[in-house]
Amino acid sequence: MLPSCLRDSGKSSIALTNIDVSLEQEQLIGEIAEIIIPATKTPGAKALNLHLFTLKMLDDCYEKEEQELFFKGLDALQDKSQQQFSKSFQKLTVPERQQLLLGVEKDEQATPELKKFYDIIKSKTIEGYMSSKYVMTNLVIWELVPGRYNAYYPVKSA
Amino acid sequence: MSNINIDGQKTNTYDVIVIGSGISGGWAAKEFTEKGLKTLVLERGRDVQHIKDYPTTNMYPYEFEHRGQIPLVVQKENPIASRCYVFREDAMHFVVKDNEHPYQQEKPFDWIRGYQVGGKSLLWARQTQRWSDFDFEGPARDDFAVDWPIRYKDIAPWYSYAERFAGISGNKDGLSELPDGEFLPGFPLNAVEDYFKGVVNKKFANRHVISARCAHLSKPNQIHLDQGRAKCQNRTLCQRGCPFGGYFSSNASTLPWAAKTGNLTLRPFSVVESIIYDDKKGKATGVKVIDANTKEEMEFFAKIIFVNAAALNTNLILLNSKSSRFPQGLGNDNGQLGKFVAFHNYSARISAEYDGLKEFSTDGRNPAGGGYLPRFRNVYKQETNFKRGYAAGFSAYRSLDRDSSGVGETLKDNLAKAPLGPWRVGSHMMGETIPKESNFVSLSKDKKDAWGVPLLNISVDYDENDHLMKKDYIEQLTEMFTEAGFTNIKANESSQAPGLDIHEMGGARMGHDPKTSILNSWNQIHACKNVFVTDGACMTSTSTQNPSLTYMALTARAVDYAVKALNKYEI
Repeated sequence: MLPSCLRDSGKSSIALTNIDVSLEQEQLIGEIAEIIIPATKTPGAKALNLHLFTLKMLDDCYEKEEQELFFKGLDALQDKSQQQFSKSFQKLTVPERQQLLLGVEKDEQATPELKKFYDIIKSKTIEGYMSSKYVMTNLVIWELVPGRYNAYYPVKSA
Repeated sequence: MSNINIDGQKTNTYDVIVIGSGISGGWAAKEFTEKGLKTLVLERGRDVQHIKDYPTTNMYPYEFEHRGQIPLVVQKENPIASRCYVFREDAMHFVVKDNEHPYQQEKPFDWIRGYQVGGKSLLWARQTQRWSDFDFEGPARDDFAVDWPIRYKDIAPWYSYAERFAGISGNKDGLSELPDGEFLPGFPLNAVEDYFKGVVNKKFANRHVISARCAHLSKPNQIHLDQGRAKCQNRTLCQRGCPFGGYFSSNASTLPWAAKTGNLTLRPFSVVESIIYDDKKGKATGVKVIDANTKEEMEFFAKIIFVNAAALNTNLILLNSKSSRFPQGLGNDNGQLGKFVAFHNYSARISAEYDGLKEFSTDGRNPAGGGYLPRFRNVYKQETNFKRGYAAGFSAYRSLDRDSSGVGETLKDNLAKAPLGPWRVGSHMMGETIPKESNFVSLSKDKKDAWGVPLLNISVDYDENDHLMKKDYIEQLTEMFTEAGFTNIKANESSQAPGLDIHEMGGARMGHDPKTSILNSWNQIHACKNVFVTDGACMTSTSTQNPSLTYMALTARAVDYAVKALNKYEI
C-alpha cells in the first residue's frame, strides 16, 4: 500500500475499517469494475456501486495479507499498463483496458499480487452484480415468497 | 405485618416450572397450561416474539451488507459458531457467540446453542421422523447402553398427538423402519430424486428413498390456522423466523398457544442455577434463578419441574443441583448423570452429477429439502462389522453452466442468461452413535460463568464404530450412485467435531433400573418424582432420526402422566 502522504487528497467515499483507500484508488477500482461489468442497455458496475461492494468485502471479509496483495496488485496493474501501452490505466481506451485485464486473466505466470487483485475484483464484482437489486429484480429474479414448488418443471433440454 | 419471605414465596409460586422454552419446553408449556396449570417458563435468553422479533425475515439478499457472509473479525471471534451452517448474516443473532457463554472442551466439541425464547426451534432443520421398534429395541438387541423402558406402542399415540398440532408434511410410505404418521401432504421429489428412488427400489432390497418428512404446513388444518399460522410459502428462509408460521417453532406455535390460556408466565433472562431439593419433603420445591441482566438471585417454587434446557444444559443444571440428599447432583445416586452422551455422526457427504432428465428442472423451492433414506444397515439383523447404521439425506438440483470468463458485455450476458447445466446430487449421513460412559459432560471444578454457574466440561468423541460406519456409508452410497449412473462421484469426509450435528443427546437417560439410569419410563427422575426431563438429555440411545419430534411426543406424554400423578397425589 502507498503511504497516505503520497495519495491523492481525497479519501474513499465509504467508511472502511481495515483498509486505507484513497478516492483516486476507489475511482480506479470503479473503472476496472466497469470494464468487467460495463454499462450497456442496463446499468454497469459503477452505477450499481459494485466497486464499493468490492471494497466493503475486501475490508471486512479478507485477511490482512490478501488486502495487502490486492493493493500491490492494483499498483502492478498500473505498471503493466505503462509497460504495455505507455499510459496509465485511466488514459487507456476501453478496448485497451479490456486487453490489459484479459491479459492478466489468461496469464498463468502472473505475479501473486496481480492474480490476487484480479481474482478479488472480478469475483466480488460478479457477486455484487448477481446479488444487486437491479439484477435480482429485473434479470434473474429472486423471489422472497415463491409460494410454490414445482418438482417437475419442464425445460428445453440442453 | 406480613412475613416478606412467605409473600415472596406466594408470588413466586406456580403449579409447574418449565426450564427452557425451546422445542420441548414449548410443548411442556402448551400441555400444562391447556390442562389448567399455572406454568412458569424460564428462559435464560432474551424474548423473541413471533414475527415482531424476526428482524431479517423479509430482507432481500442485497440488503445484507456482506450478502450473507460473516465478516472475518466475527468469524475469528466465534470459531465455533462460525462452523454452524446457520451462522450467517441473516440468522447470526439467534446463535450463541463463543465468548458470551464459554465451555471447556476436553475433546473438540462444537456446542451450538440458541439462547432466546424459542431456543433452537427457530433454527432447526425441521426434519421429523418417527422412531420404530427397530430403534427402541436397539440397545437391548445389540447389547449397548441400557434397554429403553418404552416401546413404539407407548409413544405412537403421542407421535400422532404431536404431529397433528405441529403440522408434519409427509407421505404414507408404509415402511416398518420408519412408521407413518398424521401427515399433511408431502412435498414431492423432483425428477432425479424420483429416478434415484426407482433405482434403489429395483436394485437394493430393503432400501428406500422417500420424500423427507418435515414440520411445514403444506396444507394447514384448522388447528394450525387457530395457532395463527399459515401455509408454508416455500421461502426456505426458515432460520430467520417465518412470518407465516409456515414451519413449527415454539415461537409460532406452542408458546402463543400456551399464552392464550392465561396460565402462562414467561420469564426471559432467567438463568437457572439449580433445582432446589427439600430433604424433609423428599422432593424438589423450586428453582434458583439468576437474573441474566441484574444478576439478582431469586427463587421460584412449583409442584412439578420440567427440565428442558437443551440436552447438555439440562445435564449441567442437574449436576449443579446439589443437596445433602443428592451430593452429586439431582437424581444422581448412581453417579451416571452426565455420562453416556451420544450424538449423530454427520461426518461424511457425497456429491455427484447426473447427465439425464435434462427436460426437467424445478421451480420454486422445496422446504423438505428433498429425499430421505431411512436406515437400511443392520435393521433386521446384524450384518456389518459395526453396530447400528445411518440414515441419509438425498437431494438433487439442476445446476447452472455459468461462464464467468472474460470481461465486458459478453460476460454480462453470460451471467444473466446462464444455461442450465447437469443435475447435481448430494447426500449426507446421519449415523447412530453408541452411548458410552467415556463420552460425558461434567462441571468445571474451578471455572464459573458470568452468572456464577460452573462451566461445563465436554468430553465427547467419535469411536471406531463411527469410523467403520462412515466408511460403509461412503461405500454404499457410492455403489448406489454408480448404479444410478451418476458420475463424478466425490466423497467428502469432513473432519467436523461432534456437536456440529446439533443432535447431542443423553446424560440423564431413561431406563428400567434406577441403578443404571436417571429417568424412568415417564421421563421422571427415579429418585425425585416431581422432576421430569423431556429434552435430549433423556435419550437412552440416538438412533438415526432427527430427534425433535420424539422430544415433542415424549414431552406431551410425560405431562399427561405428571398431571394424572399430581391429581392422584402421587407427586
